[in-house]
Amino acid sequence: MSTSTSEKASGETKKVTLKSCDDVEFKVDIPVANVGESDQSIPLPNVSEKVLKKVLEWCEHHVNDPQPTNDDDDSRRRNTEIDDWDQRFLNVEQDMLFEIILAANYLDIKPLLDIGCKTVANMIKGKSPEEIRTTFNIVNDFTPEEEEQIRKENEWAEDR
Amino acid sequence: MDSSSPPLPPPTDLTATWNFLENGIEHIMNRLEEGLSYKRYMDLYTGIYNYCTSSRMNPGFTSEPLAGPGANLSNNRGANLMGSDLYQNLQRYLERYLHTIRENSTQHMDENLLRYYTKHWEKYTTASSYVHHVFRYLNRHWVKREIDEGRKTVYDVYTLTLVSWRDYMFMHVERHVMAAVLKLIERQRNGESVETGLVKSVVESFVALGLDDADSTKSTLDVYKEHFQKPFVEASEVYYKAESEKFVSENSVTEYMKKAEARLREEENRVKLYLHQSTHKPLITTCETVLVKNHTDIMWDEFQTLLNLDKMDDLNRMYSLLSRISEGLDPLRTRFEEHVRKAGLNAIEKVADQGNDNLEPKIYVDALLEVHSKYNDMVTTAFRGEAGFVASLDKACREFVNRNKVCKASTSKSPELLARFCDSLLRKSSKNPEENDLEEVLNNIMTVFKYVEDKDVFQKFYSKMLAKRLVNGTSASEDAESSMISKLKEACGFEYTSKLQRMFTDMGLSKDLNDQFKERNSVGANEQVDFSVLVLGTASWPLQPSTTNFTIPEELERTFQHFKMFYQHKHSGRKLNWLFHLSKGELKANYCHLSKAGYTFQVSTYQMGILLQYNKDTSYTFEELKQSTDLNAEVLIGALGTLVKAKVLELSDGTEVGDSSSRYELNMDFKSKKVRIQLNVPIKSEQKVEVEETHKTVEEDRKLLMQAAIVRIMKTRKTLKHVVLVNEVIAQLSNRFKPKIPDIKKCIDVLLEKEYIERVDGQKDMFSYVA
Repeated sequence: MSTSTSEKASGETKKVTLKSCDDVEFKVDIPVANVGESDQSIPLPNVSEKVLKKVLEWCEHHVNDPQPTNDDDDSRRRNTEIDDWDQRFLNVEQDMLFEIILAANYLDIKPLLDIGCKTVANMIKGKSPEEIRTTFNIVNDFTPEEEEQIRKENEWAEDR
Repeated sequence: MDSSSPPLPPPTDLTATWNFLENGIEHIMNRLEEGLSYKRYMDLYTGIYNYCTSSRMNPGFTSEPLAGPGANLSNNRGANLMGSDLYQNLQRYLERYLHTIRENSTQHMDENLLRYYTKHWEKYTTASSYVHHVFRYLNRHWVKREIDEGRKTVYDVYTLTLVSWRDYMFMHVERHVMAAVLKLIERQRNGESVETGLVKSVVESFVALGLDDADSTKSTLDVYKEHFQKPFVEASEVYYKAESEKFVSENSVTEYMKKAEARLREEENRVKLYLHQSTHKPLITTCETVLVKNHTDIMWDEFQTLLNLDKMDDLNRMYSLLSRISEGLDPLRTRFEEHVRKAGLNAIEKVADQGNDNLEPKIYVDALLEVHSKYNDMVTTAFRGEAGFVASLDKACREFVNRNKVCKASTSKSPELLARFCDSLLRKSSKNPEENDLEEVLNNIMTVFKYVEDKDVFQKFYSKMLAKRLVNGTSASEDAESSMISKLKEACGFEYTSKLQRMFTDMGLSKDLNDQFKERNSVGANEQVDFSVLVLGTASWPLQPSTTNFTIPEELERTFQHFKMFYQHKHSGRKLNWLFHLSKGELKANYCHLSKAGYTFQVSTYQMGILLQYNKDTSYTFEELKQSTDLNAEVLIGALGTLVKAKVLELSDGTEVGDSSSRYELNMDFKSKKVRIQLNVPIKSEQKVEVEETHKTVEEDRKLLMQAAIVRIMKTRKTLKHVVLVNEVIAQLSNRFKPKIPDIKKCIDVLLEKEYIERVDGQKDMFSYVA
């Protein structure tokens, strides 16, 4: 969300209120929300209660992670490992997984977006087109001719 | 508060989305002071997010032909990344917004224009950072992709606002703004108090607008340098050129220097207070040229006057001004050196006239020191110890220490007087200074010593006088002696003081020797006389052998023989030369009618030899005494002279001491207020001869030193040209004395004759070493 972090050295951690699109309020520690102090509640018009709860759970668990910098973009991309906690965390129904990914993008939570996408990538890896269609419930709308052409054009990418 | 945020527009509708956004941006740009609720902020962010992600609802790539390997990304881009419409709309909005501000700016001039410009600049940049955040989603995806693909004219939103300000506002008003800035600064220079915060804001704005065209995330100072710094420095030059020329024509040089100093300080502060630090160098360099460099001639001319009047503050000011420009100080250093040299010569001339021939060493050294210390102070305070001035001072001092009226005949007069002054301080005397003061005086002596060229002459005199102090037991303090020697050692090295130190060692050894001798004799027969002896190495001690024979009185003979045997037994093969002319003793006289207790005479050994004769008889002729003591006439006359003068002996049958017919009677009626009577007084004429002899031995030693140096050099170099050889000899001996070239030539001739070196055949002025 916002770039500034606000952490008090002593005493109780200050909280802010986040409000989901279905008007449910969450009181969240400022470091978890990673926003500035505010008396107003912050509305999140694109995130439902169910998803926001999930996202906040992730944020709380990762509150002490270092902030990602632009420099490690590359290493982040190359790394396909997902740690155990995150794997269990994302072991949810497909719809929920996609909602989390969308929310992570909307709320600009890069690490969560990364592992979400990696999880989807792992679901695709090693599968045939037909299996992928089954996995994601996609209807094949190509004609056989179109399909043949695509195969031909992507021959270079096939494992042999 | 704007809690009444309009509802979010449908994501795929550009017109509705933009209207929704423009409404919010309008609020941020113009009415930010009313506040911006999180809801409004999040709605704007969400509006942009929704619009940019709306493509996912359209069937994506069906209509586009599929691309080949490697080209997939760029071809899918249009379908997947929305945003350029929003970006362009924002760009147009900013142009319109700034156009209005620019139009309104024409109503303002001077300070009001600055107020208008800075007020809008601050408002605009604050609002822009909010807009930037609202557009984060666009920055993160569409803008990032455009920049990654090399589009130079797409910037993140904040940079876009700066670029817009530069192109639609700054470029059109900067001339008027700068004119107002320069006017304001000129008014401040004229002494008015002005609102410098305005200039500071303008500077910040110009600096912020320095965007690097190659990489918009970096900034340059190009805009500031071109549009602010250049006209500002030019205006400063014009201003100070006019001011300084006018001021110089109406005021004294010292007044001008104060002015220039104040102006330079002012400009340095100006940079610190409200300009960019990079302006420091060009501004100050320009001011230095206009304020200092253009006026060096009058300052150089004034320097001598300031020196003559000892104007420390003005000298210091002149120094700091001229040190700012290259070569500004050179003429000062030359003039300073000349001035100090003259001051030194004048001071010595004054004391030389007062003292005639018998110049008191203290007065001479004090005169040298006074000049040195005065100008040394000047160098440290006015010229801040700058190396060039230190060198000038040293050069001047070396000149007047070695070549002044007192040293007219020879440069060796300075070291002689200096050594005498040392002797007067280190010799027992009622006038000896306190320990702390003494240390300071010794340090001062070293200051002068540093400048003395003939350090060998000093060494000669010093060791002569040290020997005397030690032999006569007149040294005031062992600590002071060793302190002085360690100072000399520090200045000239171990070799210079090794003989002096050896002398102290011999004194210590002699003390032990006496103790041992006494212990041995106390066991055997009682000695009749109290006896002590100094055994001193010939090589280290500058003592001359006696010029006369002497028959040891029989009273002393036994002890004399005992010691000889004792010493031979201890160190067989060593030869003892007895220096009776340096020896002394005490005699107890019980013959005087007028004193019951009797007197004690302190006498030289020769006097003792004479007086002891009177134990047998009370009257002798000159010839009789000459025979019994075996002294030569000259020494005998000297010794008798003091005895007669003190009325211990009475002269009869002759008019003068030493007449062949003269006769000397013991004065039985001798009387004195003192119980101890000092009869062993040095004879004036002897002293003078000694000084001359010392100078002569210096000359002899120098010849040897030069020859030794030549041989040393030739031995390592094998063959050498005459000129090079001479220069090397001078260099090698420079810390002892300054050899004269004709003397070196003479030494070369001697060595040619002795066949240590030879001329190389067929080569002019070339010598080679003969192994």
